Amino acid sequence: MSAGGGAERPLPASLLAADRAVLDRFGARILERIEAFGELTYCVAPGDWTEVLSFLKDSPEGAFDQLDCLLGDHLPEREDRPLAVVVHLVSHAHGHRLRVKTALAEGQGLPTLTGLWPSAGFDEREAWEMFGILFEGHPDLRRLLTTDDFEGHPLRKDFPLQGTVGGRIRIDLRGKI
Amino acid sequence: MSDAVVQLLFLIIKALLMSLIIVTMVAFIIYFERKFAGFFQSRVGPTYLGPWGSLQSFGDILKLLSKEDLIPEQADRWVFRLAPYLIFVPAFLVMAVLPFGPVGGEPNLFGYRFDYVIANFDSGLVLFLAMGAVAVYGVVLAGWSSNNHFSLLGGLRAGAQMISYELAMGFSLVGVMLMAGSTNLVTIVDYQAGGFWSWLFIPQVVGGLVFFVATLAELNRTPFDLAEAEQELVAGYLTEYSGMRWGLFMFAEYVNLLVVSGIVATLYFGGWRAPLAVLDFIPGPIWLFLKICVLIFIYMWVRWTIFRYRYNQLMSIGWKVLLPLSLANLVVTAVVVNIFGD
Amino acid sequence: MATSAPPSASVEARVEGRRPTLEELKERKARSRQRGQRTGELMTLSLGPQHPSTHGVYRAELDLDGEVIVAVRPEIGNLHRGVEKLCEHRTYHQIIPLTDRLDYLSAFAMNHGFCEAVEKLMGVEVPPRGRYIRTIAHELCRIANHIMWLGIHVMDLGTQTFFCITFRDREYILDLFEMLTGARLTHSFARIGGVAKDLPDDFDYRCRKVIDFIPKRVAEYERIIKYNRIYHKRTKGVGIFTAEDCYAWRVTGPALRAAGVARDLRKDEPYAAYDEVEFEVAVEYNADVYDRFLVRMKEIRESCKIIRQCLDRLPGGPFLARDAAHSLPLKKDVLRSAPAMIQDFYHVFHGPHAPKGEVYRAIEVPKGEMGVYIRSEGGPRPTRVRFTTPSFYHGQAVPALCEGEMIADFVAIFASVDVVLGDCDR
Repeated sequence: MSAGGGAERPLPASLLAADRAVLDRFGARILERIEAFGELTYCVAPGDWTEVLSFLKDSPEGAFDQLDCLLGDHLPEREDRPLAVVVHLVSHAHGHRLRVKTALAEGQGLPTLTGLWPSAGFDEREAWEMFGILFEGHPDLRRLLTTDDFEGHPLRKDFPLQGTVGGRIRIDLRGKI
Repeated sequence: MSDAVVQLLFLIIKALLMSLIIVTMVAFIIYFERKFAGFFQSRVGPTYLGPWGSLQSFGDILKLLSKEDLIPEQADRWVFRLAPYLIFVPAFLVMAVLPFGPVGGEPNLFGYRFDYVIANFDSGLVLFLAMGAVAVYGVVLAGWSSNNHFSLLGGLRAGAQMISYELAMGFSLVGVMLMAGSTNLVTIVDYQAGGFWSWLFIPQVVGGLVFFVATLAELNRTPFDLAEAEQELVAGYLTEYSGMRWGLFMFAEYVNLLVVSGIVATLYFGGWRAPLAVLDFIPGPIWLFLKICVLIFIYMWVRWTIFRYRYNQLMSIGWKVLLPLSLANLVVTAVVVNIFGD
Repeated sequence: MATSAPPSASVEARVEGRRPTLEELKERKARSRQRGQRTGELMTLSLGPQHPSTHGVYRAELDLDGEVIVAVRPEIGNLHRGVEKLCEHRTYHQIIPLTDRLDYLSAFAMNHGFCEAVEKLMGVEVPPRGRYIRTIAHELCRIANHIMWLGIHVMDLGTQTFFCITFRDREYILDLFEMLTGARLTHSFARIGGVAKDLPDDFDYRCRKVIDFIPKRVAEYERIIKYNRIYHKRTKGVGIFTAEDCYAWRVTGPALRAAGVARDLRKDEPYAAYDEVEFEVAVEYNADVYDRFLVRMKEIRESCKIIRQCLDRLPGGPFLARDAAHSLPLKKDVLRSAPAMIQDFYHVFHGPHAPKGEVYRAIEVPKGEMGVYIRSEGGPRPTRVRFTTPSFYHGQAVPALCEGEMIADFVAIFASVDVVLGDCDR
């Protein structure tokens, strides 16, 4: 796939053990397993989201006790499921990392991870405001970084770079800048 | 002229002169505080106005006077305006009972007797405590009337703090009263006649320390500056004040500093009296001035050196350490005075 | 040893160097937060965004019961500049100056983190000299950040004098940075494949003078602070956050190491020249504000050691990768040699070539672990960039850190996890 990618970089043994455990447990429910740049990525269906991640957190081989980051993504070229949520996990016990992804259709919800890792709270709020990904069961799903009356989801690829969408600045600057 | 008229004239002159001296001194205390703070912090402090920046305070006063007088819309306007004076006036009043030279005796000025005190008042020490208590109202009302949560917290802190520390302060003063047998500051200074070794801080070292710590709390200076704790409450009860109204608070704070230093010097360090009989040729006011300067420096030193206590720690120090200490000091002093006293 | 001591006694037995058990820590935490169990009428205090000790424009709505914090509702975003959106429309080279503005107190660390991620994506090998210079700059940046942290932390506890002392010492580091990069605060010094410039001529001499001097200053800070009883009263047992709490809230860096976890990405996932130098990971065990102070002081000393080793072993050779597809040419070559000129045109007008794929790279910046996620569709611009910055999560963890403590502790605890709002709001 890539020229510069470190695909030849081996994965750590502990991660391979976790990998085996996950594949044994979920099998084909791991839709895609990507190994690139020395990183392991799983793609799962939104329905399996909580189950896979709680297995990763609780299984002794995985022991992913820290959610390093959760982020939303927008892939407009993927028309049926343009949104994505990517999670990076860290295990302090084993020292390995893992990425789990899921693809979402427009308006499709995803169960929240705040029950598993409280630190997902801000991340999910950010993913919601930036991409419009709805996290079901999130205790406080409000806008985080933009103002409360902001309209639109600014990190989507179709969000205009200039103009008057959202924000408190209600003066029409079109044609003046 | 009859003696009474001359005494009245003297009184007016003394009062005016004292006010003038206080105002000037406060301006310079503020300057020195900033300068010392600069030196402590490896800066230079104010430098522009006047030689070495010494006129900085006057510039500040002009600036404050020219500022807009803001009163928050939701504030209790009347109380908001009253509060600065409730702090400002009591601070001045205490200076009236502070002796700055010999009192009584034969005529010493143009054939008339000139007392180096404005009011030779029998319960001067009580007046000091009372005025301290009145000033609490100023702080609490300022905090309450601003209608700001930070101010309210600051005012409440100040109220609770001053009440708890006034107890320890009062009890530590009783030791001095017992030894001198009076609450008149003139008598207390006279009791300390005879040079360094008869100064009261030697027998009253515990009481003196308790009093010093309690005055730190009374003056709202670190480590007890919780009422205006800048990093927690923005400016505490001062948050909504601006312009010269804020200036009045600041001014009152430094007048208080001056007064408290004067009281400490008078009660524990012989007031206007010289430490050695040889040095008696230097007039009393100068001695008092020097002692006040040293004490003010110590107050500044403390302020710019140490950390601030947390609220519950402040309270536990007040009630669990200072109050028992001052009570123990009182008991010991009472017993000793009773046994060895004449 | 004295394992059978009653738990109430062990709460007070906070002995330096003695390692508390997890149960002890939890009990201490519960005890320090019992104050929050009262019921009464609550007052809401809106702390910030314009508040002296919110370190920028953090806002917290505190529910207060008297002086005790019952609930905290953090609000961030007042400094949001949309860095991630900006990144999608810039080439990889042009993003580097944007990363400066994330954590402007440790700007080089941010540059470095981004460049590490890009190099992982592009497969660029940084020459040894470049790696060593990066290590030196990164550690200088750590020292500057920790010194600044100390001043602010101590000022939040009520003494302003110390703040000025630490700022004066930070100036020496900033002078070094000025010498090295030409800028004092926002350096933009790292480049894809190395660093922007070689070390100046007398940098070695001056840098050694500073790193000889800094440990002495640290000893003096400790003389002033470490034995100050009021400081102990304000910080010991305050804001206890055990390792489990840290994992759950993604609190990293000194706060995690103060909870007894020897987690340091410089050791665990080495980058730059960290696997070639010797240093210790600073660990303390009491998980409170005081131990976070101790950890940072140790880290300053270790940083000085790292810099000294790097200066001693500084290899020769290029400081920027000779990789025409991914890194800029040397400035001095641009007007003299044709290939360099073409390379320069290519990178300025088009940008470096990145393969398709996604990478995540985390490095240890002074405030904690900073991760950079890049998804590339190929070409000179990333398609999605996400900066996982430590302050973002530290700011989020403030409720968990502070509830039940007093309002004065909020200030101390907030400072102790080191939040910078540029980093938090991005």
